[in-house]
Amino acid sequence: MERQKLTWPRFVRLADKYGVMILRWALALVGIGFATAPYLYMILQSLAPWREVNRRLIPSSLTTRSYEWLLQGSATAVARPWLRGFGNSVLVTSLSTLCMLVVAMLAGYALARLRFRGREGIYKFILFQMFYPAIILLVPQFLIVRYLGLYNTYAGMIIPRAVNIWAIFMYVSFFKSVNPAMLEAARIDGASETQVLFRIVIPLSRSITAVIGLFLFMERWVELLWDLIVVQEYPMMTLNVMIATMSGPYASYPGPLYAASVILTVPIILIFLVFSKHFTQGFKFILK
Amino acid sequence: MKRLSRGEGVTGWLFTIPYLAYTIIFFVLPFLWGLLLLVSEWNLISPVREFVGLGNLLEALQSRRVHAAALTPFKIMALFLPAVLIMSLGIAVLINSFKKRQGLLAVAFFLPYLASGVSMSLVVKGVVSYTSPVNKVISNIIGFVPDWLGTPSLAILVIALMIAWRFSGYYALIFLSGLQSIPGELYEAAQIDGAGRIKSFFKITLPQLYPALYSVIILAVGLMFGVFTEPYMLTGGGPNLATHTWYLEIYYQAFSTLRAGYASSIALYNAIAVFIVVGIVRRIMQAWGRAHGWED
Amino acid sequence: MLTKKRLLTLVLVFALVLTTGAAAWANSAIFWTAPNPPQEVFWTEMAKRFMAENPEYNIQVFPMAEAPSSEATILTAIAGGTAPAASENIFIGFGAELYESAALVPLDTLEGWDELIAARNMEGAIKGWAFPDGHYYILPIYSNPILYGWRIDILEELGVDRIPETYEEIIEVARLAQKEGLFLMVRPALGMPTWWERWFDFFTLYNAISGDVPFITGSEITADDEAVIDVFKFYADLAKEKLILTQDIPDAFATDNAIWSELGPWTFPGWKEQYPEMVYGETFALTMPPIPEHHKDDAAGNTFADAKGLVLYAQASEEAKQAVWDFIRWVFADPAHDLLWMEATSLPPVRDDLADNPVFAEYLAKAPELVPYAESLAFAVPPFTHSDFADIQTVLSEEGLIPVVRGTKSPEQAWEDAKAAINGILNR
Repeated sequence: MERQKLTWPRFVRLADKYGVMILRWALALVGIGFATAPYLYMILQSLAPWREVNRRLIPSSLTTRSYEWLLQGSATAVARPWLRGFGNSVLVTSLSTLCMLVVAMLAGYALARLRFRGREGIYKFILFQMFYPAIILLVPQFLIVRYLGLYNTYAGMIIPRAVNIWAIFMYVSFFKSVNPAMLEAARIDGASETQVLFRIVIPLSRSITAVIGLFLFMERWVELLWDLIVVQEYPMMTLNVMIATMSGPYASYPGPLYAASVILTVPIILIFLVFSKHFTQGFKFILK
Repeated sequence: MKRLSRGEGVTGWLFTIPYLAYTIIFFVLPFLWGLLLLVSEWNLISPVREFVGLGNLLEALQSRRVHAAALTPFKIMALFLPAVLIMSLGIAVLINSFKKRQGLLAVAFFLPYLASGVSMSLVVKGVVSYTSPVNKVISNIIGFVPDWLGTPSLAILVIALMIAWRFSGYYALIFLSGLQSIPGELYEAAQIDGAGRIKSFFKITLPQLYPALYSVIILAVGLMFGVFTEPYMLTGGGPNLATHTWYLEIYYQAFSTLRAGYASSIALYNAIAVFIVVGIVRRIMQAWGRAHGWED
Repeated sequence: MLTKKRLLTLVLVFALVLTTGAAAWANSAIFWTAPNPPQEVFWTEMAKRFMAENPEYNIQVFPMAEAPSSEATILTAIAGGTAPAASENIFIGFGAELYESAALVPLDTLEGWDELIAARNMEGAIKGWAFPDGHYYILPIYSNPILYGWRIDILEELGVDRIPETYEEIIEVARLAQKEGLFLMVRPALGMPTWWERWFDFFTLYNAISGDVPFITGSEITADDEAVIDVFKFYADLAKEKLILTQDIPDAFATDNAIWSELGPWTFPGWKEQYPEMVYGETFALTMPPIPEHHKDDAAGNTFADAKGLVLYAQASEEAKQAVWDFIRWVFADPAHDLLWMEATSLPPVRDDLADNPVFAEYLAKAPELVPYAESLAFAVPPFTHSDFADIQTVLSEEGLIPVVRGTKSPEQAWEDAKAAINGILNR
């Protein structure tokens, strides 16, 4: 077969057909490049020889020295409890998120689907809380945590962050959109409210729960201010706070700090990717 | 209407008890305690608490640090808002133009939202350091290395771009769902009227995006009053208080100099500022929305 | 999906976590070290040995966080009611703040104080650490005179054979360095209001001129105005010609980007790990801070001393205080431990016999870079004592040094403004 010559009209026809698509993909790839560049930088620098950290974009060779120093220490440095810090982050974030979900689901269901005296008042108060600037409460909340003896404990990080007003609001709108006939049918069959909750409501809200939970988890994972105030001792600190407190005059070890950042960031990205199917499904509801 | 069943009422209260308990302990109580703090001079440790009346509120009003903190949100906003709107709208339009793989792209562009401000500050600190690879490229072009964190306007720019980077994908998704709810007939009608792509973007797309724009702008403006991690890690509020923020000042007064009452009075001003600014922005947005046929 | 059973398990786990705090039993105490890796090494080792000899004790050693300074961390912990039994890293000004809030234990009322002072040979050195009520609340551990390092190998390449001693000489050398693309000094802190950084760039030079003229006495500024303006003017001159860089180059002095830097002895352990080519007498020399030409004959020739000690916190339980006090007495009774301290941290211990005790002389012979620090101990001036030290040094930065370096205020104006701001704090 004779090869067709690439004449000008033919080029225009091809460009019409594929050009927009190629341009689109090029733009998308550039955009994704920008979106992920800081992560790639962090990973590369955490594996770079110490003298090249922040001085070369692509290290001349790769080494795990930063990770070793971080986890094992050296003759002149005791290793900080980084793995425990990671464990703390997992524990605090999961329990905090779980509490927020359970509380929000129960309250959201009650406020959307159960009729009881005072419901309207509570709902209005929730709307007020949503727009109330939390910063005013920072110092008094700290004092209450101290008064309750929760200072420097996991509970001090978890309990004051065990309720999320936004999540309640989301569940209220979700349960309001559920077809009431389904619930009525169960009730007529003689199911108690608790049974309705566990048999119908919870399974129904799987997708929305995945998205709300994902959001809550992501936000709690990188919380700084509260965790910084409430915990002052290394064995109790979350990983994020541990990294933040390493910026003093003695911390001239950027390589290990990047390594710690990788340990902080990679798991949350993996979790997000695992749940990304739910994310794309449930996201639209959240945005309404 | 069904009668109010007793079981339902009890269950309703039962299900809301966790929320109510939390609200009393961590919202109502702190709210009242905060009022008490406002009028006292107390260092959180000492057994002595002094009643100072409006002293804290007046002192904060005159403090140069508070003035700087009050100004910073507007400086960051001036760069952040256009940057994040262009980026997120661009991303949304781009994703929307794909017929397949929209979910994949949305996930990819959402990744920055997962970043910890602490880690990103370390990255930025490295990238703006004098001998960094990025600065080498820049100094080859412009002949010198900009003092990113030491120049007030550049420090603001760096912080604004960091936050814009983080939120662009998130806001893009809000815009994307807005774009997808615009009826296609509107565009067809415009095409018949002979409107070009750009014209129909401004005449149809933007006004139709009003609900999405409204949420994004309110979210973004509110965000400006709570900036903490980036300046805490990168500039400490400097140079010369140029990046000093409300949260930094409250944190500094409450937990560095331990002036609980004074910190609470600054927090009150912060809240007032948020209310006023968000209120004004809301009015402007609603007026714009009404002009394009949206109900409130 | 959440089943009832799973939910129950989670609640149980949650309850379990809530009850787990720092477990407290008899003879157990928490000790906080400075956030300096070698100091952590020392105290961790000490606690290990102490508990090996005295298994009935349980001493837990944690480094204190810097959030954003170790002082803030301690204050927040005290405010939260969870201060450790004891911590090191307390300088006298911070001690004064804690003392005013009744947060410290008067150490001289504890059993065995006199024996401890005698055993560590610090009868002379302890005198300067008495508080207004006549008691001692801080046990000084080390005193770091801050010296200045010069990259003598680079100076040689520049054709400079004598280390500059005056501001004027330094500026000349800096211009030579600038031609080679080097900076005199790289110090991003010169653009930041972080209060303790002023110890290492302002008070070093200030003390060199004014000696021990106190910066603040009681609640009055007693600083030597002329000396302050001299220091400000020096930085203004350096900044104007871009001889110093206020942007960040990590480890600029060790990586051949700067030829001059303030150096505390804590730098050396890190260098051994990261920059073994930094050898005292070959690549770098140590000097006292420089002075202006016109003070060549009458300058006091002092430097700043970063002197820190340990305290016991009043709010800890009696058992914990007793346990940690036993531990501290055990640590300082043996000069071999102070030697170990020096080997680990390079920080000169506060002892009257540092120069003549053969234990230390032997070590100093092996670590020549520490000799200048030991020799300048007598000329090192500790920080001024005022409980609002952080606020005062913050406004000294914001109104004084930083605008001077940025060239937005004249040195005279900057000092005027800083004085006004400091007076505002003193009269609060």
